[in-house]
Amino acid sequence: MKNRYRLASLVAALAIVVGACSTGSSSPTAPAASQPATSGAPSGAPSAEPTEMAFPEGDFALTMWTKEGEADGSFQFNKKLTDAYTALHPNVTFELVNKNVEVLREDFQTASLAGDAPHILWTVADHIGPFTSADLILPLDNLVDRATFVPAAAEAVTADGTLWGVPMSFGNQLMLYWNKDLAGDAAPATSDDWIAAAKSAHTGGNVGIAFNQTESFWLVPFLGGFGGSVFAEDGVTPTLDTDAMRSALEFLYDLKYTEQVTPAEADYDVADGLFKEGKAAFIINGDWTLGAYSAPPDGENPGLGDKLGVGPLPTLTGGEDPKPYIAGAFLMASKAVGDDADLQTVVADFMQFASNKDNQVDIVQTLKRLPGNAEAIEDPIVTGDPLLAGAAEAAQKGVPQPTNLEMRCVFDAMTAGVRDLFTGNNDFAGISASMQSGSESCIAAL
Amino acid sequence: MSLDAVVTAIQQVGLTLIVIAIAVAALEGVLYLLLVRGLKTRLATPLMLVAPAFVGLAILIVYPLLWELNVSFTNMSLRNFRDPGFLGLENGMFVGLDNYVEVFTRPVLQLTTFWQLLLQTVLWTVINVTLHVAGGMALALLLHRQMRGKGIYRALIILPWAIPQVIALLIWRTEYNNEYGAANQLLRMAGFDGVPWLSDPFWNFIAMIITNVWLGIPFMMVIILGGLSSISSEYYEAAEMDGANSRQSFRAITLPLLRPVLTPAIILGTVWTFNNINVPFFINQNELETSDILVTALFRMAFQYNRYGDAAAFAFVIFIILLVFTVFYVRRTGSLRGAYE
Amino acid sequence: MSGPTSVPAPAVTAAARSARATHQPGGRRDSRPKRIVIHGILILACVIAAFPIIRVLSVALRPGNRLLDSEFKLIPEGATLNAFVHVLTETDLPLWLFNSLVITTGTAIVGLLVAATSAYAFSRFKFPGRGVGLTALLATQLIPAAMLLVPLYLLAVQFKLANSYVGMVIALSVTAVPFSIWILKGYYDTVPIELEEAARIDGCSQLEAFWRILLPLSTPALVVVFLFNFLAAWNDYFLARILLSKEELLTWPLGLQRFQAQFQAQWNDLAAASILISVPVVLLFLYSSKWLVSGVTAGGVKG
Repeated sequence: MKNRYRLASLVAALAIVVGACSTGSSSPTAPAASQPATSGAPSGAPSAEPTEMAFPEGDFALTMWTKEGEADGSFQFNKKLTDAYTALHPNVTFELVNKNVEVLREDFQTASLAGDAPHILWTVADHIGPFTSADLILPLDNLVDRATFVPAAAEAVTADGTLWGVPMSFGNQLMLYWNKDLAGDAAPATSDDWIAAAKSAHTGGNVGIAFNQTESFWLVPFLGGFGGSVFAEDGVTPTLDTDAMRSALEFLYDLKYTEQVTPAEADYDVADGLFKEGKAAFIINGDWTLGAYSAPPDGENPGLGDKLGVGPLPTLTGGEDPKPYIAGAFLMASKAVGDDADLQTVVADFMQFASNKDNQVDIVQTLKRLPGNAEAIEDPIVTGDPLLAGAAEAAQKGVPQPTNLEMRCVFDAMTAGVRDLFTGNNDFAGISASMQSGSESCIAAL
Repeated sequence: MSLDAVVTAIQQVGLTLIVIAIAVAALEGVLYLLLVRGLKTRLATPLMLVAPAFVGLAILIVYPLLWELNVSFTNMSLRNFRDPGFLGLENGMFVGLDNYVEVFTRPVLQLTTFWQLLLQTVLWTVINVTLHVAGGMALALLLHRQMRGKGIYRALIILPWAIPQVIALLIWRTEYNNEYGAANQLLRMAGFDGVPWLSDPFWNFIAMIITNVWLGIPFMMVIILGGLSSISSEYYEAAEMDGANSRQSFRAITLPLLRPVLTPAIILGTVWTFNNINVPFFINQNELETSDILVTALFRMAFQYNRYGDAAAFAFVIFIILLVFTVFYVRRTGSLRGAYE
Repeated sequence: MSGPTSVPAPAVTAAARSARATHQPGGRRDSRPKRIVIHGILILACVIAAFPIIRVLSVALRPGNRLLDSEFKLIPEGATLNAFVHVLTETDLPLWLFNSLVITTGTAIVGLLVAATSAYAFSRFKFPGRGVGLTALLATQLIPAAMLLVPLYLLAVQFKLANSYVGMVIALSVTAVPFSIWILKGYYDTVPIELEEAARIDGCSQLEAFWRILLPLSTPALVVVFLFNFLAAWNDYFLARILLSKEELLTWPLGLQRFQAQFQAQWNDLAAASILISVPVVLLFLYSSKWLVSGVTAGGVKG
């Protein structure tokens, strides 16, 4: 026993001593040296936004975990943003780490448990569910100006009246893309028109409609289109065993088995590949691929270029407009940031900087995503581009994705049901019943 | 890859070795004083020799196990997201044996119960180990003779073992793709329809088994080849003179003499297959609950659903099951007797 | 079956080998038809074993960005080495490989040292708790790894060892130690103790006898344990994921995930990286395969 403690403390002591001496690694925890803000002129270059108080002195080494990867250039955009901020405030440096969305959530939770969480997150809205349940992130109402955000975007990260995130990009909605060569120029007005167009295109190795048949995210718009929703009024009781769900399941089933306009088996990559190769007339995919699909056909990562059409999912015959979920990418701050006033000021300032109009317009230009800043979304760069306008129209028909903890159970239950459906199971009542019971037992265990 | 990063990496590992060396030296120093100077016992040498290993194990395995045991009596989860302290008594997180009871009575994740998972895991283990041993035995018997190209065959056949598992699994997963994967393309070339490997529960299970068998046969083959080499040819010559055919000599000579080698390998193989988190995780990717085995459900419970208390109890249940099996099997076959002498 | 690592069988000592003639079933050559069938089966086995690697190679050579191609060609049209070049020059793959190599070497050294000395104690000494110790080592193999991840991480953070290789190497070598001890102990058991006793009579201390006599004779087993530790560390994903969060510290399993952005994977980069990652390990394996096959497993066979 004694030896173990001695060994442990010896190792710990050594580790701390040597850790402090190692070069080049910035500490992931809040900086030890932060002096109280001095009165008078802020240090360093003038910042982009006028701050009410003097910018804190001292060095701030911030860690930011981002879900954005390098493949679509979004990680590079993150880097550009943080570099720009460091150029304005040289005493603030960033350590940027990329993690896949699920890994980011899991690792952030584990890191918070150990008190080792990163300062800032760039992640998806539905993470506020688990993070607020476990009390891991900071409320932002007093730190940023909500009025500068697109209302629907701010709604997506508001829970119980509190704002938990700052919108970077907004959208994430599923919409209809079509290949004009195969599907015609105009958007189909109703689902009957849509199916008819798909049928005439579904020949000779081409498919009519491609979409990810393996995840519940693609079921959701149709559930909404038939008048249903995943939760009851209280926002936590699942309502999956409803007529609306059965109609939605039937609609999707018909696409694949009755009308036969879909591929035999398609996950995300298969559908994406088919559309990019020009073998699919329509694809249901999210706004995040707008950049890739609209790329010119002769570039390094060829897209459809001018042949691309974009718009909301067509109105369902016998129902309403489909209602895809809207989310986006948001900045969040970990709870520990609130413990240090200066750190909090710096982080809040960065968030406001990242969401200002210029940087938001930049996101539109670089990544082809809809911005979260209210001024930016009115900018001609959005309204003047037919593709972006189509995407914006689609976004406006969507509903905010629930962000509470129970949503994970609901997503998983629906995914199981969707996969069951696409193996050819047409017992819609049975599927919706098992979705309901699956989510109920999962929620009960939370 | 910058010079900075390279230097960092080397620094880190150099640091590691130094820290470990100092720690071990300190440990040994303390033990020396205690055992040699203090107690003057002749047990000093062996104890000092095994000390680093066991201290390391105590810190890195025993402590986490105790932590998990502690958590298993609490309701630590995303709603109660803090270190429970001792049995959660202070923060009102204590739930007694509730978690253990719930392991058996409630669906583990969404719909699947513990018993179904246990059945799936046992099926998974038994089928895999049987195929591993059978396949390994067959290949070893084929290779255990003078032949040309023996070295090349051996080298190629152990490829599945040599390739990093993460990579092999990613490759296999894409081969199960309905349209573009090799599995269905080959089936179609042979005139059959493609099979929905990734979406149908039954076929997904088969897919996992196929992959795991591919991964595991080389190991068994190598072990058995080694065992075959140690069987004296005198036995076979005597059997031949008595008129035994090859099947009889296999059953009477080869199998019994292989047993000392085979039994530990089977025990290990069973335990590893039972606890194999890689194959279901990467082939299935958390998609089909029917393809979960006990340990993947455990991982999801802990990391996807953050039900730490439940997961800790679940983990202990799995551990006990394996422990009982191993003790039972080892006692019954007496296979490890020699090691303890 | 797939353990967290691979488990090779150590070779038998030269002494033991000369003591018994190895068995070749059918001292006479097999008949020709039989030989053809045997070769045929073995060739089929080799094809099955190597097939996925060949497929990955063909994806790596494919131009453009598609994993999923309806054609079945082995060498695709327009085959190009672009993916390899891209992955080597424009990504951090070389860094990840280097990091992995560094961690792995450290782990193998530490693991080998610890196991060699501990196994010696178990083999050559009788002390109270020996049996219990051996059993405990075996029991550690039963623990589901997921159980240990969170508390290990908490421990690491407490000792400021997260995001450092110290934590990684310690954790990885300790996980490999129990099995290494079993293998080495079994091997030491087959080496007659008389050799060491003779050396001590000649004036060596006990530890010198260990160092100069037993260890050199145990080289095959040591090689195997080194390989075992090496592979355990090289292939580790879960520990690395939980302990390393800095871009410059990543090992290759974590780096490989970078090629799988949220919804868009770069398949030919992934394939090219996979090939590059596999090659050194496969070579290492092939090179040490002579030790793998030519012997008997530890502790099993007596006399």
